[in-house]
Amino acid sequence: MPRWGMVIDLARCVGCYACTIACKVENGTPPGVWYAPVYEREVGSYPTAKRLFLPTLCFHCKNPPCMKACPTKAISKREDGIVLVDSNKCCGSRACVAACPYGALTFVEEIKGEFGDELTPWERARYPQDGVGTVQKCTLCAHRIDQGNLEPACVQTCPTHCRIFGDLDDPGSEVSKLIREHNGTQARPEAGTDPSVFYLR
Amino acid sequence: MARTEPFQIRIADLRERYRPQREWAEGRGLLLILAHFLTGSGAGAWLFAVPLGSDPGLVIGFFLAALGAVGHLLFLGRPERFWRMATRMGSSWISRGLVGLSLFLVTAFIYLVLLFVAEHKTTLGAILLALSVLGALWTIIYKGFVWASSKGIPLWNTPLVPALYIAYALRGGAAVLILLAGLGTQLGAVEPLEPIKLWLAVSTAVLVLIYLEVMRGSGMTALRSVNLLLFGKVALPFYVGAVLFGLIVPIGIGSFAYFDHVPSGLLALVGLLSLLGDLSIIYCIARAGLYRPLPA
Repeated sequence: MPRWGMVIDLARCVGCYACTIACKVENGTPPGVWYAPVYEREVGSYPTAKRLFLPTLCFHCKNPPCMKACPTKAISKREDGIVLVDSNKCCGSRACVAACPYGALTFVEEIKGEFGDELTPWERARYPQDGVGTVQKCTLCAHRIDQGNLEPACVQTCPTHCRIFGDLDDPGSEVSKLIREHNGTQARPEAGTDPSVFYLR
Repeated sequence: MARTEPFQIRIADLRERYRPQREWAEGRGLLLILAHFLTGSGAGAWLFAVPLGSDPGLVIGFFLAALGAVGHLLFLGRPERFWRMATRMGSSWISRGLVGLSLFLVTAFIYLVLLFVAEHKTTLGAILLALSVLGALWTIIYKGFVWASSKGIPLWNTPLVPALYIAYALRGGAAVLILLAGLGTQLGAVEPLEPIKLWLAVSTAVLVLIYLEVMRGSGMTALRSVNLLLFGKVALPFYVGAVLFGLIVPIGIGSFAYFDHVPSGLLALVGLLSLLGDLSIIYCIARAGLYRPLPA
């Protein structure tokens, strides 16, 4: 069984937000909910100021603190390492939101349209109306992975090949080679969560 | 283009290096703060009312905890699924808390029914009372661990938070009984509470100081949170509510009570202000919570 994961090469990210948009289109997330946000920061000061971009997603941790904190067993981890929220079991306690060191989960208080209170036909079709009052998060596009050779939408869309998807348990996979050869690092390793997303600097 | 408020807030948060915790401190999150305060004070009042034999204390303790339970339900995004919260006792402090609070509310309710409409000095009454005390203890203890288990928020992720919450729940319980006494209910029954209340107030003040000092040295995120408490947007409720109402006034009047008789009106004021202080500190700690930034 593979352990699906991702490598994000920060040197390649140009901050175009294509991953964020592709994810929203693929998963139909309502306003205020991003499964793959890009954190943007300014560092330094003129004339050496620059902007840094940090593409993120749910890190699908091997030891997910969200799953431990969830009181309703709504969060589960598949054998291939993908961590999913079952919105039919979620009671909206937001314990997972507070427990996640990476800010990967969002509580959906209400669903409003992007262009006003009335939803457009696309929004009516795509927004998860039964998800109001529950927590949502990145699924690593499990529905695409389960179809066969499809990659997550953010990976497929990235124009700079900044996001690379693959099997972390396969030493011959591209992700494993990149992590090995370029000293891939996990975010906040001290939290003991063992994320499935590695960053290259 | 019309944008919804959560959209703008999240955009702003994404640009913040130290992202504020909002789920348990804003909007419906305020219900959670209120619920933790009420269940803590209610369970604390029950614990003190049992040895003091204060029937009004038992009743008020139960009703405060029940009101807190309603607050917990209203906070949930899907309250109709609350029963599912008891399914992960192994790792979730919320699950453990639900079981403890349910044990307390059910056994306390039956005990009160026996107390007022039937004979309660029976074996069944004793068992119910013992179970209710166990449930009350459980309720007081679990709350701090709910906050402390949040790994991403250093201000909460410390063993000092459960200690602080236990101290505040006990203080709250004593304050409820003192407030009742001040309002003329079984004044004599709570006399032993006055030195206990003063001791609790002083020890909590020391605990708050230790907590802030430890947090100041626990990394940049925790330091920022402490700065929010002391100098930032949470400073007003912290100084007025938690420090003045919650610590200075109860300690001042409590010390005065050692030397002279305290009028019942003043006693009620001490209880009320102390409770306001307890609510304030829970609010302040929740509001000052910041997530550790992701490395960039």
